Amino acid sequence: MTTKTAPPSTPHKLQTLGLFLIPIILLAGVIALFLRTGGGLEFQSPVPVEELTVERIILTQPPRGDFLIELVVRNTSPQAVTIAQVVVNEGVRPFHMQPAGSISRLATAHVYIPYGWVEGEAYGITLFSTNAVAFTAEIPVAMETPTGNPATFWGFTLIGLYVGVIPIFLGIFWLPALRRLSRAWMTFLMALTAGLLIFLGVDTLVEAIEQVPQVPSSFQGFGLIAIGAVGIFLLLDAISRRWAGSGRNESAKRFNVAFLIALGIGLHNLGEGLAIGAAYNIGEIALGTFLVVGFIIQNITEGLGIIAPILRDRPSLASLAWLGLLGGGPAILGTWLGGFSPSATLAVLFLGIGTGAIFEVVYEIGKLLQKDTAARPAPLLVFGGVLAGMLLLWGTGLLIK
Amino acid sequence: MSKRLTRRDFLKAGALGIAGTLGIAASTRLAGVSAPPAAGHQQSGHGGDGPHGMTMPVGEVDHARNGFNPSQILTDFDTGTVSRLAGGQTLREYWIVAHNKTVEVMPGIDFPAWTYASTGPGWHNPIGRIPGPTFRASEGDRVRIHFFNGSDHPHTMHFHGIHASEMDGVPGAGPGLIEPGQDFTYEFDAYPFGLHLYHCHAFPLARHIAKGLYGAFIIDPAQGRPPVDHEFVMVMAGYDVDFDDANDFYHVNGIPFHFQLNPIQIGVNEKVRIYLVNTLEFDLVNSFHLHANFFDHYPTGTQLTPRDYTDTIIQGQAERAILEFSYKYPGIYMFHAHVTEFAELGWAGHFEVLA
Repeated sequence: MTTKTAPPSTPHKLQTLGLFLIPIILLAGVIALFLRTGGGLEFQSPVPVEELTVERIILTQPPRGDFLIELVVRNTSPQAVTIAQVVVNEGVRPFHMQPAGSISRLATAHVYIPYGWVEGEAYGITLFSTNAVAFTAEIPVAMETPTGNPATFWGFTLIGLYVGVIPIFLGIFWLPALRRLSRAWMTFLMALTAGLLIFLGVDTLVEAIEQVPQVPSSFQGFGLIAIGAVGIFLLLDAISRRWAGSGRNESAKRFNVAFLIALGIGLHNLGEGLAIGAAYNIGEIALGTFLVVGFIIQNITEGLGIIAPILRDRPSLASLAWLGLLGGGPAILGTWLGGFSPSATLAVLFLGIGTGAIFEVVYEIGKLLQKDTAARPAPLLVFGGVLAGMLLLWGTGLLIK
Repeated sequence: MSKRLTRRDFLKAGALGIAGTLGIAASTRLAGVSAPPAAGHQQSGHGGDGPHGMTMPVGEVDHARNGFNPSQILTDFDTGTVSRLAGGQTLREYWIVAHNKTVEVMPGIDFPAWTYASTGPGWHNPIGRIPGPTFRASEGDRVRIHFFNGSDHPHTMHFHGIHASEMDGVPGAGPGLIEPGQDFTYEFDAYPFGLHLYHCHAFPLARHIAKGLYGAFIIDPAQGRPPVDHEFVMVMAGYDVDFDDANDFYHVNGIPFHFQLNPIQIGVNEKVRIYLVNTLEFDLVNSFHLHANFFDHYPTGTQLTPRDYTDTIIQGQAERAILEFSYKYPGIYMFHAHVTEFAELGWAGHFEVLA
């Protein structure tokens, strides 16, 4: 009779696997039973719950094509939905669908409505399902939907340049001047950057939350925000800890923080670009000169934030250029994505990622500030800097809100 | 008669508009709604579809499944079972059932309607319709309506006319609400002559009416009206399919766009008399406009001389009128609500005047 435990061996691994599988097999049995019998539940809605999300509206007109309103709809209800009739501005209209027939759960379909829409006017569209459930979509300002031709491509690139790239590089040009400041003022600037970023982070989060209603409910917009924000926060934190443990000097570590700030701001600008592109796509905003000037003034502070940690170092011009591109470039990418293939789901995810990235960077700056003020405590300097940063963005925000 | 274009010829001519035909063929197929080809071809005959074409549903409702056809309702006058009372007075008896019924009000859209059905004695096999049966009597006739509520909600029949309080079909007078499974016989003398209506008077009133419980009630003058070639009943109303107390579609005789897809055929110089009733809920007014013509207008039909000669009239809820006209030239002529929003949501039709 042996009492000693057996060494782990293959049969035991199989046994473990088997033990893991027991609940799953039971689950399959319960599901099968439920599907066959209905589980004894007899609550049934008199009308099936139907939900349809209009994801995109595309308007075309001559000479590019016929006068046409095209809707891209996604069925987010528990079962298939069939569109029976279409009403545009209080008139029943002929239409056809691609693919034909009913839309299965989570699938998308295109609804084509020949309609002589007029530029600048507003339209309301109602889709009636076979169960007489009405789904509505609005065209606040009708304009031809931009397509991927070189002119519109360049147009969106320009928007991205104005909103993201140019202001950040302008901010970076402060580097020679700021380098002459005393250590205390540099600490103040770091705190100011933290304030800027906190404000940006809140702004990004609010924008993400505002977009949630446009996300098909089954894609759980709030869940996407949480996944994006928490995921990127922990990822950046892990990266920065890895770098911290790699035994590099203080200057390299400060550059790493600048890199993370640029990355965070870049992700924020990607989300901002998506939102601007999508809004431009449906004619909701006209980027007037005043608005563009406002964006440049506000986003110049982002450039300031990127260089704040490396004021006492001598970064190469090339690395500064990379930081600027990293911070501003994604705005261009965002306007392209938002302008040509707007997706509220993607926008919410990226805005969530932007939120997480920005707050992680605030955390990094906090660590630097702690290090800086450990020798010479300057609580009022930090307080004043953070508040000044937030007020700066609030003040410049008056120009664009 | 041989010169008359058949409906099929007419449709074939329309089908020459290739773009329109292809368009609608594609739409009916792609939308997965089965439509008789005739319904589709009709479209090109009236100016084609395309971005600036007429408002039009995709497909056509299944009249057989609905159990009624608006074209038949036009000329379906229910004069009841006639007998004579001891004093010589004519007695007209009706057996009416109110029951729940799913009606395909627009192609592919089912609406949980409430309907009145006219059956024989015993109330067997009710087939409800919207609007309900058009009752027709002569002034002074005794009318006896044996009403059975086969629905799952209380209903009544409230007639416009002159009668005793207990026959008024409203809660709180006479039998009041007729509960499900209960019956009551409304009885009164048909008076005054004219064009009237009836509807359910249970509360909430607008919902009970809008779900389909209404119809026309014609009382002819004792000496009758001058003879005409065609008499048509048109009951104008709407459907609030998503129950937001606003109409989504408008119709004459129960199905939106029906007479646009199925024109009413008449001959040149034939005299036409229309019994027009407005039972539209939720909207304040309804209207009737006749294209390329004018008509004699007899509001409520209670006078034998027309009040005016016009081409457009406005009717509030429960207003009605008799219209008389004839067409001088052959061709296709629209008639529709000149509240054009209603027209584009279904209240539009065509007369096809044959040479």
